[in-house]
Amino acid sequence: MSSVRFPIKDLARRRLQTSLTITTLTLSVASTLFLLLFSWQVGVGISSTSETLTAGLSAIFAQFVLFIGVLIFVVGAILTSFIVFLMMKQRTRDFGLIKAAGCPNGRVFGYFLAELLIVTVVGCVLGVVFGFTADSVATRVLGVQAIQNPPNLLFASIVFAVFFILAVTFGVKPMLDAARASPLKLLSPVQYFGLGKGGKFKPLSRTGITLQVASRSLFRRVSASVRIILLLSIVFLLLTVSVAGSIIANDTTTIWVENAVGQNVILIAHQDMVTQYKLLMSQAFTQDLAGYFNYTDERLAVPDAILENLNGLHGVSGVDARLVLMEPVREMSGYYIDPDTQSTYSVGDNRNGTSLVVGVNPEKILTSPHTKGQFLNSSDAQMAVIGDTLAQAMYSTDLRAKPPIRLADPLLQKIIVQGKIFDITGVCIDPTNSGNVTYVPLKELQSVTGISTVNVVLVRLDASVDRVATLAQLKTIVQDINPEFSVFELDEVLQENVAFLGSLWSEIMLLPLFTLGSAALCLVGYMMLSVDEQRHEFGVLRAIGTKPNTAVAVAAVQSSLVLLSSLAVGLSFGIITTLLILVPHPIVTVLTVIKISTWLFAALAIMFLLSLIPAVRIAKTSILRVMA
Amino acid sequence: MAETVISAVSINKTYPMGDSETEVLKDINFNIASGEFVAIYGSSGAGKTTLLNIIGGIDKPTSGQMIVLGEDLTVQNEDFLADFRCNDVGYVFQAYNLVSTLTVAENVAFPMEWTGRPPEEIVKRVAELLATVGLGHRANHYPAQLSGGEQQRVAFARAMANDPQVFLADEPTGNLDTKNGQKITQMLQMLKAEGKTVIVSTHDAEIMRLADRTLCLEDGRLASKDE
Repeated sequence: MSSVRFPIKDLARRRLQTSLTITTLTLSVASTLFLLLFSWQVGVGISSTSETLTAGLSAIFAQFVLFIGVLIFVVGAILTSFIVFLMMKQRTRDFGLIKAAGCPNGRVFGYFLAELLIVTVVGCVLGVVFGFTADSVATRVLGVQAIQNPPNLLFASIVFAVFFILAVTFGVKPMLDAARASPLKLLSPVQYFGLGKGGKFKPLSRTGITLQVASRSLFRRVSASVRIILLLSIVFLLLTVSVAGSIIANDTTTIWVENAVGQNVILIAHQDMVTQYKLLMSQAFTQDLAGYFNYTDERLAVPDAILENLNGLHGVSGVDARLVLMEPVREMSGYYIDPDTQSTYSVGDNRNGTSLVVGVNPEKILTSPHTKGQFLNSSDAQMAVIGDTLAQAMYSTDLRAKPPIRLADPLLQKIIVQGKIFDITGVCIDPTNSGNVTYVPLKELQSVTGISTVNVVLVRLDASVDRVATLAQLKTIVQDINPEFSVFELDEVLQENVAFLGSLWSEIMLLPLFTLGSAALCLVGYMMLSVDEQRHEFGVLRAIGTKPNTAVAVAAVQSSLVLLSSLAVGLSFGIITTLLILVPHPIVTVLTVIKISTWLFAALAIMFLLSLIPAVRIAKTSILRVMA
Repeated sequence: MAETVISAVSINKTYPMGDSETEVLKDINFNIASGEFVAIYGSSGAGKTTLLNIIGGIDKPTSGQMIVLGEDLTVQNEDFLADFRCNDVGYVFQAYNLVSTLTVAENVAFPMEWTGRPPEEIVKRVAELLATVGLGHRANHYPAQLSGGEQQRVAFARAMANDPQVFLADEPTGNLDTKNGQKITQMLQMLKAEGKTVIVSTHDAEIMRLADRTLCLEDGRLASKDE
């Protein structure tokens, strides 16, 4: 028989196994390509907002998308190699049979190699087609932040090439082993089942026997079991990173934003300044900042009468008067002394920029943005804290600059505002003007600008007082003093910021959903192959008196063992990766833990239930058909 | 006169084969009394295995009634039939059908464990049965490590485990050499001596000589009833 006709006939004869392998391979390639394309689209979508999002928050998002993308690729690659390995491992016996019938080793190898290539090419091509289709449908249907792009053929080529090479490499391995072994060894049932002598007989209960049959069957296919556990461990690592990571990062960044904007804080300013301040605080999700705004306009100065009234007002627990200006700023290079060599290195350069400069009274400040380093703590010191975006723009290394800036660290450098030099003591994550902000002591700013007034007042209301009544009282006082001044609740802007962050994280959370879907399908594929391999055994068990559901019970035990082992490994590494690498200074509350547990439990339950489908189908089939 | 334990009434069985149907059993009627040893013979494809499967509650006829131990198996659900197969019938398959993940002792113990018999009783019975079939020394081996004859003897021991009233064997010597075939014949003789109702599908002249009665299946029909 020709070397082409035999493999095609053989694949057609083993229709169920062939279609299962091609389906699983297709799913693997399609889900990987889809997830890569989709995460890239989401990543591009989010990064397009990073011009407005603060640099610190953008970095966290970018790290997540990159890490998830890499994991998705690894999962797909392992899955593909696993499926093909399983398929070819099952053919070892057939290899022996054909060899025993007198077919030369090289020809048998050629037959099976041809089968492998046919299955792999069909699976990979179908996978690429379905991957593109799924991505196109998902981005259209879900209407995410994604940018609609033409099909990314580079991704498709990489996925196809890598997966094809992996499939062929891992598929050839068991065949090479089979080619080297003698037909006798390949046909030996002991070799096939890989069993040693059993232990001493001990009677068991029904549950005991079910566990025994399930676990022995699982351990008999030890190489396949180890591979599926490894695969699912990475899936759970991916799920944990994306679910737990997204939830922790969402909660953490939300708290950072809440601390930076302030909760239960009221803004009092001239109505034009209120509008401008709201825009400054909403830069992450709006592009509407007016081209020019005169912060030094005398009309914006808060009348002393308002400040005096606020200080003695019942229900007001804090008053934070600020001078907000848009000023040119200049980087001032610093130096670093190597403790080992005592050599001195220049740090940074003397770059120019424009920043929102906020003069605050450190003793009375109502907001506390998350700060690397130290926030302002003295009214008199010439200290400054800069926002993360400003730090990124003016205090980062730049190898393209001439001469290149190889070393930069804002905490070793200074900033010049209105000709005055301030030591930078901290870098904060602050949504104000998307992180392009500089905090300096109010006195110092007033001193260098010659402006003795403030243009913004933040007021915190005492939580115990009647909020509505106090607000009404505040409005009356302000309106009585100057009708052009207004009172605005910053909680509204805070909620918008939090909702925007939530929407970004929820897009990233779509990835674990899809990953879960594809992993569940792959697990079903594995269980189909596994149940198919045990099909005859299930038939025998029923023929000697067990109920149809015994097959489901055995599959449930096997699935539980595989899933729980994978969960333990994946969850541990996922949590470690998230807490140590992806989210700096994570904030984990009880609610966070509950949310993560609910997600992971739901994922586990869904995967478990889906994995039972093949066994349920067997349970519904007649004994003779099962044993056939 | 001995009580009737198996009664086949107008049994027909057809299997779909593409667009058409193949009739495997056609209007089969017979009664088998308690303690009777019946041998069913006929050419390959005559329907012997299908008939045994229907008696054993593994398969259902397309029409007709199969009454075994007073129960019409054709109207019972799968749970009832599972209990029936475990407690009331011992079935020895032509291909042995041992559970490959269980050792010899575990295979023999399986039906007893499934019916919840006390552990001490199971241990004792397993030892007895393995001694009866001459495989005490193979108790902790897996089926894949046994020869065909040994596997067949384990299948006999498993079928006898719950001491069923009805014993079915599908060509029990079909795959065995003369020596192993004789051992199986001896076991069937022992079952007959114990007063079990035994139905064997066979071509083996030795086994047929043991039978109280033979049934010949030809092209799905009962061709002769040797009373």
